[in-house]
Amino acid sequence: MNFPPEAPILDVKNLRVSFPSAEGPVGAVQNVSFSIARGRTLALVGESGSGKTVTAHALLKLVRPPGRIEAGRMVFRSRRVGEIDLAHLDEKSGLLFKVRGGLISLIFQEPMTALSPVHTIGSQIDEAILVHQEVSPAAARRQTLDMLNRVGIGDAVRRYAQYPHELSGGMRQRVVIAMALVCRPELLIADEPTTALDVTIQAQILGLIKSLQSDIGCSVLLITHDLGVVAQVADEVAVMHRGEIVERGGVRAVLKNPQHRQTRALLEALPSRRAVVA
Amino acid sequence: MRGLTKHFPVYGEGFRRKLLGVIKAVDDISFDLAPGESLGLVGESGSGKTTTARCLLRALNPTAGEVHFRLPDGRVVDLAKVAERELKPIRQHAQMVFQDPFSSLNPRMTVREIVGEPLVIHGLASGAELDDRVSEVLRRVGLKPEHRSRYPHAFSGGQRQRIGIARALIMRPSLIVCDEATSALDMSVQAQVLDLLKELQREFQLTYLLVAHNLDVVRNFCDRVAVMRQGRIVEVAPTQQIFAAPQHAYTKILLSAVPSPDPDVRMNFNVGDELAKLDAAG
Repeated sequence: MNFPPEAPILDVKNLRVSFPSAEGPVGAVQNVSFSIARGRTLALVGESGSGKTVTAHALLKLVRPPGRIEAGRMVFRSRRVGEIDLAHLDEKSGLLFKVRGGLISLIFQEPMTALSPVHTIGSQIDEAILVHQEVSPAAARRQTLDMLNRVGIGDAVRRYAQYPHELSGGMRQRVVIAMALVCRPELLIADEPTTALDVTIQAQILGLIKSLQSDIGCSVLLITHDLGVVAQVADEVAVMHRGEIVERGGVRAVLKNPQHRQTRALLEALPSRRAVVA
Repeated sequence: MRGLTKHFPVYGEGFRRKLLGVIKAVDDISFDLAPGESLGLVGESGSGKTTTARCLLRALNPTAGEVHFRLPDGRVVDLAKVAERELKPIRQHAQMVFQDPFSSLNPRMTVREIVGEPLVIHGLASGAELDDRVSEVLRRVGLKPEHRSRYPHAFSGGQRQRIGIARALIMRPSLIVCDEATSALDMSVQAQVLDLLKELQREFQLTYLLVAHNLDVVRNFCDRVAVMRQGRIVEVAPTQQIFAAPQHAYTKILLSAVPSPDPDVRMNFNVGDELAKLDAAG
């Protein structure tokens, strides 16, 4: 499917997600609109509870009941299947199945919970391939080994047969990335992909995501609370606060000249920017 | 601390459990901590910083080395050698604040019980006096005395960390070891907790050993920083100097990997190769 090059891969308009409570519905995400240009990286930043993860989950219709998407459009322009409004995808449709993990992949924060402890890492990546592609198990295994190499896991044949607990945190996150990218998604959602990691491992994982992004040509929605990561990795940024986007724009413009109070507060909270009250 | 070493034995499988070797978690570490000073102990996971902190407080028995600790009455004891039963009175003076505010507080105890427990264990207060001291210390860390009868689940991460600090502070220690005390918190909450620790330090002349994997945290907080890698300290220097002019190759790599919020200061994505080169060079 061909779209004009300037058509964003994702257009979210007036998204509302709410959770019922004793005092009536609570809007976890209120009237959120943003778009992601094809091949680019948008960072969604905010503190915990600001609604950034709920927004990401809404894209894949993973909001857990009783939470629900109340309103809004999420237009995803897939080169493979055309234009889809993710908000109105039927839960049981084959298309949603294809979107999840096939066209849009998600990397979770905590690699240990994203991996099954009782399956080898090889079989878990194979499974992702076999679910979305019509290939033989032997061909899936070849793809898996190739992907393990590409995410920088040396000795892929031995690693293929290992279980997640036998790997370090950084290695596990590489496995999760391999699994997310093996079906060549058009959009990758990375939810705090490096928050649990040491800085040197973080640098390697961020570098890896960047280089695979240009290899595969996918767009990235990066969710983080760290403006340092935003500055180094993203092209554009949207700042969330209490379920709303309070500021958005190019990374350089927003970080060099923040307009909203909340953006300034996030910047000032960075230890490198502040002196502890003397 | 002089020549601190902690080895963990590794045993084989099977009945005979043959000793296969030792893991040198901490290998010949020495540093000093002046009264009223904050020293940051920085390193990646597995570098031995937590083991060092635990050996210092004798939560682990060091394999070798000395830990000279000056008590408020001026006596100096070697924490690495004193007998177990003599440790208890000494422990009043050296307290620990833990990383995870969710797992380090007993969910079945009220805040009053959690914060007052050290005083009860050491037999230092009971009844109304205990209650008063708990209220006072809660107020001091920015919580309300009314919070005494609540359980930990009723508090946010930042508040829980304040409860952990109150529990350490109630003993009026001279040394507090903070093991990743703010790592689990949001940036702005982290900043508030660090501010609190700084205020308390001035008020009570506390000495801190701050264990952190995050260089940014120690940057504005510590007077000096010790960088650990693979069980050894590779560099100790005043904080300013570590950040402005790091001497050791590892410190340089570590600093280059920190993502700067300034888009014009590019971070180093290539640290993997550089670390491998460093290891190859020995």
